[in-house]
Amino acid sequence: MGDLKVVGKRVERVDVRAKVTGGALYAADVQLAGMLYGKIIRCYDYAHARVTSLDLSDAAECKGVIKVLGPKDVTQREYNASVLDMMVSADMRGVLGDIDDQSIFTDHLKHYGDAIAAVIATSEAAAERAAEKIRVTYEELPVYLTAEASKQPDALQFRPEKPGNRAFELPEMAFPGNVYAWGEVEESFSEADFIVEDTFYVSKQKQCQMEPGSYIALYDDQQRLNCWTSTQMPKLVQKKLANLFELPMTRVRINATVIGGGFGARLGMVLEPETCALAMAVPGRPVKLLSPREEDWLTSPSRHPGKYWMKMGFKKDGTPVACDAKFENYKGAYYVDASGTAFTTGAWLGGMYKFDSLRYRGESYYTNQSICGAFRGYGNPQTNFVMEQLVDRGCTQLGIDPIEWRKKWHKTVGDDGWCMGVPYNSCALDECLDRAAEAIGWTEKRAKYQNQTGVKRRGIGVAVMNHTSGAMPMLLEHTVCDVLLHQDATATINLACSDMGQGSHTTLRQVAAEVLDFDYDDVHIATGNTDAAGFDIGAHASRTLYVGGGAVKQACEDVRRQLFDRAALELEEDAANLYMEDKIIHVKGASNKSISVQTLADQGVNNFMNPENGELIGQPGQIQGYASFFPPHNAPPFGATIAEVEVDMETGEVKVLELVNAHDVGKAIHPGVVEGQLDGGAQQGLGMALTEETYFDEKGICLNNSFTDYKMFGPSDMPKMTNILVENPDPTGPFGAKGVGEAGIVPPVGATANAIFNAIGVQILEAPITPEKILKALEEKANVS
Amino acid sequence: MTSRVMQDFNLLLPETVPEALGLLASHKDKATILAGGTDLLVALKFDYAIDNVISLALISGLDELAFDPLLGLTIGAKVTIADIVKSEEVKQHYPALWQSAVIFATPQLRNTATVVGNILRASPAGDCSLALYALGGKVTLESTSGRRDVYLDDFWLSYGVTARQDDELAIAVTVPPPGQGQKSAFRRMTRVTEDLSKINAAVCLQMDGNKCVAARVAMGCVGPTLVRLINVEKSLEGEEITTDLLQAISDTVASDINPIDDIRSSAEYRLKVAGVLVKRVINLALNGGSDQ
Repeated sequence: MGDLKVVGKRVERVDVRAKVTGGALYAADVQLAGMLYGKIIRCYDYAHARVTSLDLSDAAECKGVIKVLGPKDVTQREYNASVLDMMVSADMRGVLGDIDDQSIFTDHLKHYGDAIAAVIATSEAAAERAAEKIRVTYEELPVYLTAEASKQPDALQFRPEKPGNRAFELPEMAFPGNVYAWGEVEESFSEADFIVEDTFYVSKQKQCQMEPGSYIALYDDQQRLNCWTSTQMPKLVQKKLANLFELPMTRVRINATVIGGGFGARLGMVLEPETCALAMAVPGRPVKLLSPREEDWLTSPSRHPGKYWMKMGFKKDGTPVACDAKFENYKGAYYVDASGTAFTTGAWLGGMYKFDSLRYRGESYYTNQSICGAFRGYGNPQTNFVMEQLVDRGCTQLGIDPIEWRKKWHKTVGDDGWCMGVPYNSCALDECLDRAAEAIGWTEKRAKYQNQTGVKRRGIGVAVMNHTSGAMPMLLEHTVCDVLLHQDATATINLACSDMGQGSHTTLRQVAAEVLDFDYDDVHIATGNTDAAGFDIGAHASRTLYVGGGAVKQACEDVRRQLFDRAALELEEDAANLYMEDKIIHVKGASNKSISVQTLADQGVNNFMNPENGELIGQPGQIQGYASFFPPHNAPPFGATIAEVEVDMETGEVKVLELVNAHDVGKAIHPGVVEGQLDGGAQQGLGMALTEETYFDEKGICLNNSFTDYKMFGPSDMPKMTNILVENPDPTGPFGAKGVGEAGIVPPVGATANAIFNAIGVQILEAPITPEKILKALEEKANVS
Repeated sequence: MTSRVMQDFNLLLPETVPEALGLLASHKDKATILAGGTDLLVALKFDYAIDNVISLALISGLDELAFDPLLGLTIGAKVTIADIVKSEEVKQHYPALWQSAVIFATPQLRNTATVVGNILRASPAGDCSLALYALGGKVTLESTSGRRDVYLDDFWLSYGVTARQDDELAIAVTVPPPGQGQKSAFRRMTRVTEDLSKINAAVCLQMDGNKCVAARVAMGCVGPTLVRLINVEKSLEGEEITTDLLQAISDTVASDINPIDDIRSSAEYRLKVAGVLVKRVINLALNGGSDQ
């Protein structure tokens, strides 16, 4: 790869100064002249009800109120806030069965906090006060909080086209038998010496991004719909809003504001439809909508919770012969991401180990919970919790070291990845496992923690994962990039990729500077305006550096090619005989023949005629690079985590003592950015394993849609942590890089569960693993033995 | 459901205690008192409507934190949790209180929240309240008609309800001077470090050598108010504290409490661990650092 000047360096992040000083402009900070404020009236009395009467008259009379809108006062079109339908072909859309089942406001309320109506007023206070005057009566409907409840034959049907309230199952046409499978599972199980099997529960974890939803919309004098939002996917939201409000794309503009954390919560649309509907009702006036945390919690998606059954068969020597699994998730009130996660949860399972046969069923059921959708890992943490615990149960009963088993049986180069037919083309998981084991002292600790007595018992556990860099070939992967070379030989990179805090604008800038052979400070990444930027699918699936970086690389190479072509003409040499160094293009072997990039760039813009001979000086035309990039692969990253815990046998409390994360990242474009992703991922992974869950009472009222009673790991809860970056360049990634945005959250989930198993000898089948569940399990174990 | 806009109210800023008492006398239940405000501001955002807020901000003299070997500890109405954490005297003489303050919420909240406010909140989970309860604290209430002291034993009437009358201002809480052999400690269990207690316990023992002369043991999150574990106290008093005694006490705690299921934990779990917590908090009081 030669000497890299910018890539691989810990350059200053592009966003750090603004974020640290408070200068970053979030949507909530944006003030426009004549701003109005919206407030949505939601139902906080029932999780399932029909509106029997709605009286907006008192609210309309309140001081400062401009307009009050009920369900009939806004577009009647239904929509699907997620974007999967735009990532597959029209044919595949039909096969997958994604449907539009959300509306701006509704009289059939399907979850706690569902939207009924809205007020537009001259101040936020006036809008809130008026909202309190809206009078609603309800007919209470039966509440279904789980798949087991909503699939009952007598249950009220959420959608006529989804009988049995089954929003999704793997479709027969793409998945014969409605399964994602290889081999003959029943036959393989008959060859097993030993079977492990259990039903687990995976929890409804919330992204807990710091920025609660904030939006502004303006239907302007040119009849264009403008929306300020911190969406992860500006270009898809532009198209979604164009469809919903029946406008051409050229009349919809997304101003993508600084994102205060995404993790999937800002994938697709959240309250953009509502905000735009309000703005369409008051043309010429901007309308701002600010969600309190409690509202953001209920209106943005969570992780898919549900029952996850799995069965594995092994030979006596540990050979994995068969795996059978079924994930029935509690989808929530609307369809969003019903298909995607139900599939990928199994895809990560299929991508991990060399079972002779494997079969996975994924089904999504409507429930009266708040919606589920994208969340960092997209099904992978759920699979990790279940798959990795069962592997360790098998290893323990067979007397095989869990690391040795994983090294022997994980899939690797040449094996099918998460998508069958797309084999892995790089894998350094063995090195990850070896280095993590050495860093934490696996062998000694594993031996030491056998047969412990006493109140505090320690345990050590491992988990591994595979993930992806972009979602091809399952979903469209495409980024357009323009590079504008200024006359002073600096460059502006124009594209729609968003940076939700993961550092992508920094790493994309590093890629650009490296390819152009410019300094880091000579390049600017311009984003945020869908009028200017070409297509980009959006920030998801750990793809921004891999695909966006691929586009930047290709567009910058286009600039380089043009520079070399012009230099060749000016120097009267073959382009192949030139090289660039410090922004000067030289002729190989002729030190006195050269031309600077600045001269070429300047001559392209300020192109004049030589008055003496009437000829043009240099080559005319400003240089612009362009790429419309479709990646050739999905460069799956691999990773391993080893966790060490201490369990209090009298109280069930778990203290995480240490975490070592070793990840095969291909190439760390910015090691600090990668470490940041692994740190943050671990914080969420530990939360999923130990503390995070959204609770509802039996009537479907959410009990903890705020930080008072939804507990994440804070700074003082985090263990000692080491991140090991294994750099094994992927042949398809920019400079060998793979995506790392999601990888970090996954293996801490299984590793923590396995460390607890190692400490106490019991597996806890429901996430999060709370002290309450541990004590109960210990008691049950004591009663049995 | 929470709001982004606080209800309107009149902010009253008396500059002396008598002035504040006058305002309380005239507004009675139409006024609420603002000291640290960490509970009040949350309540105001959750649609708690109140006409008048009487702030103590401009009144001087309520921020006294004073220790006297003969009179004990006086904690003025404006003394913050952070003030407690900073006090070497509290740390030395009243470890239970110091321990309950040092784990209290977050640095920002410790800098703002007041000890007296914690008591007035009458939460069954209050950490500093629980320590002061075990230490035998009393609240000084003042109104235009005079002053009275109410022991914490009689102060919390039910969930969120105290013996304070609408026209009374809680001036201070005082704690008796520590006896010669006084040992105290506080301990709690939470879901994560920064959290409200799911169960907490505080103990104050008067020791004569290994023998327990008198005991006050209090527990939180096991009833509508903080409670004293009278049977535990009886079992300790007059006894030499041994591992066997602690185990026996630990086994009986469940019969003294009446916890419920809530978002933070379950009644079943609280019943299981209450005894363990009592055993550990007593060990902590006797041994200083270690609770095992």
